[in-house]
Amino acid sequence: MSKLPACLNATEEDIRYLLAAQAHIGAKNLNVKMIPYVWKRRPDGIHIINIGKTWEKLVLAARVIAAIENPSDVVVISARPYGQRAALKFASYTGAQAIAGRFTPGTFTNYITRSFKEPRLIIVTDPRTDHQAIKEASYVNIPVIALADTDSPMRFVDIAIPANNKAKHSIGLLYWMLAREVKRLKNQIPRDKPWDVMVDMFFYRDPEETEKDTEALAPTEKTPSTFPMQESTWDTENVTNDWEATGTAAIGGVNPSIVATIATNNPTSSGWDMPDADDSGGWADTTGTFTAVSESFAEPPVPVEPTTAVFDETNAFDTTGGDWADDTNNPSTGW
Amino acid sequence: MADTNAADSRGGDISVNVDMGTAGRWAPVTKLGRLVKEGKIKDLEQIYQYSLPIKEYQIVDAILPKLSDEVMKIMPVQKQTRAGQRTRFKAFVVIGDSDGHVGLGVKCSKEVATAIRGAIILAKLSIIPVRRGYWGSLLGDPHTVPSKVTGRCGSVTCRLVPAPRGTGIVAAPTPKKLLQLAGITDCYTTSRGSTRTLGNFVKATFAAIGNTYAFLTPDLWAKEEHKKGPYQEFSDILAKATEKRR
Repeated sequence: MSKLPACLNATEEDIRYLLAAQAHIGAKNLNVKMIPYVWKRRPDGIHIINIGKTWEKLVLAARVIAAIENPSDVVVISARPYGQRAALKFASYTGAQAIAGRFTPGTFTNYITRSFKEPRLIIVTDPRTDHQAIKEASYVNIPVIALADTDSPMRFVDIAIPANNKAKHSIGLLYWMLAREVKRLKNQIPRDKPWDVMVDMFFYRDPEETEKDTEALAPTEKTPSTFPMQESTWDTENVTNDWEATGTAAIGGVNPSIVATIATNNPTSSGWDMPDADDSGGWADTTGTFTAVSESFAEPPVPVEPTTAVFDETNAFDTTGGDWADDTNNPSTGW
Repeated sequence: MADTNAADSRGGDISVNVDMGTAGRWAPVTKLGRLVKEGKIKDLEQIYQYSLPIKEYQIVDAILPKLSDEVMKIMPVQKQTRAGQRTRFKAFVVIGDSDGHVGLGVKCSKEVATAIRGAIILAKLSIIPVRRGYWGSLLGDPHTVPSKVTGRCGSVTCRLVPAPRGTGIVAAPTPKKLLQLAGITDCYTTSRGSTRTLGNFVKATFAAIGNTYAFLTPDLWAKEEHKKGPYQEFSDILAKATEKRR
């Protein structure tokens, strides 16, 4: 298209990243304006995006972003959870502002709102879900850059970067590449060396994943209703006892094997009260370690003696939730 | 747009402002406001050129200090409640400097004075440039509308037609006031529809006046060189201002 210097061409590694993140996988529907960016329609209906064009638009967008004198005049927006982490990271690395989560209507138009912003440019993760931001930008002369999928509405979008905006790896990678390109254009990082920030920093992480990775912290309380445990998910290196799968525990109770693994994995835990059943979830797929999220719960854990498979509920914590409170000696009835 | 507070309390505490001579010290909230207060933007034409929305009426005050306003009508409107009717007053205010800028504001409020005050503010926010032209020879200053323009609101259409110098404004009292404040000296008008509904009539002529700059005449064919917009040009000043605030 345009005659850009060769250093702005996509390297083979960039293309491989894009393909690995499935950024080329479009949607089954195709918006008329996106036709130039689509390479082909697969027999199963999915449109494949031309990654070469993705790269070109990405570079164009990066040039626009880099041209804004004051980097904090750029606002990155993502209502969807998959893009929130990416948006926040992008903002922190490029000096932009991020609006993750709900976009308060009036942010651009109502100068009385606390979140009143007057950006020179906005970057949007999905024109459909972030439509409120795009609409307001149209009232106040703000150009819009958007990650557009094949089925995204193009109204009021000025620069569309054709890419998959449904997959978390794709969104994360796109933002990572954008941030890297902007920093390169501003001469903040060199072109020849890879960026020392990993792409993974931009990927969305489920709360479960975040739990898995953090070290021993106060465990979260589980939701009483979610408890389809299989023994395999509880395998950690620290578990010395081989627990029979006692199946799922009573509603409001705790799977005894979990209790044991918690105990073995949380040597620092001092006391543990099972609070009421009105807690947040997160236990469903965790291994024995727990996330920082649970720090919000003040209750420290009580270590339970990893006894044999015979589980006496009186050993464990009191469960006050649910109908099972009375069922003291039937921890694993029929579940 | 105006909230329920009294108009003057918006934007800052009351204290004497040396430069402006306005009643209170205005603390601008919008970028445009800040630039105007710093004096970087001297006339409205800069704002119009980049279609920047004006949200703070003090901007207009700062740039056009000599604005005169005229209350066109106070209209009582009523809403039925179980305890009788709830009457409010709707004020139509036209504001202008008789030299190319007009604004029209409509505000409804429980008290007449509040309505008028609010309408004046809204009128300032809606200020629009008026293009004036010549009827015949391009001698002297422009005095009439550059071409036949028309504006509509509701059922009312108002048509402005160029007139030779010395004609004066040939119009009904309502649009006449508007055109005078706009700075149009000579004009023929025609109108149609229920011009008795002053709200629509005045909005229609306001639209017509606004269309004077919407009309592409051959002398506007020349391409204008692209210049930086004020937000870009003065971004360093704006950045400093936001830093201070944070």
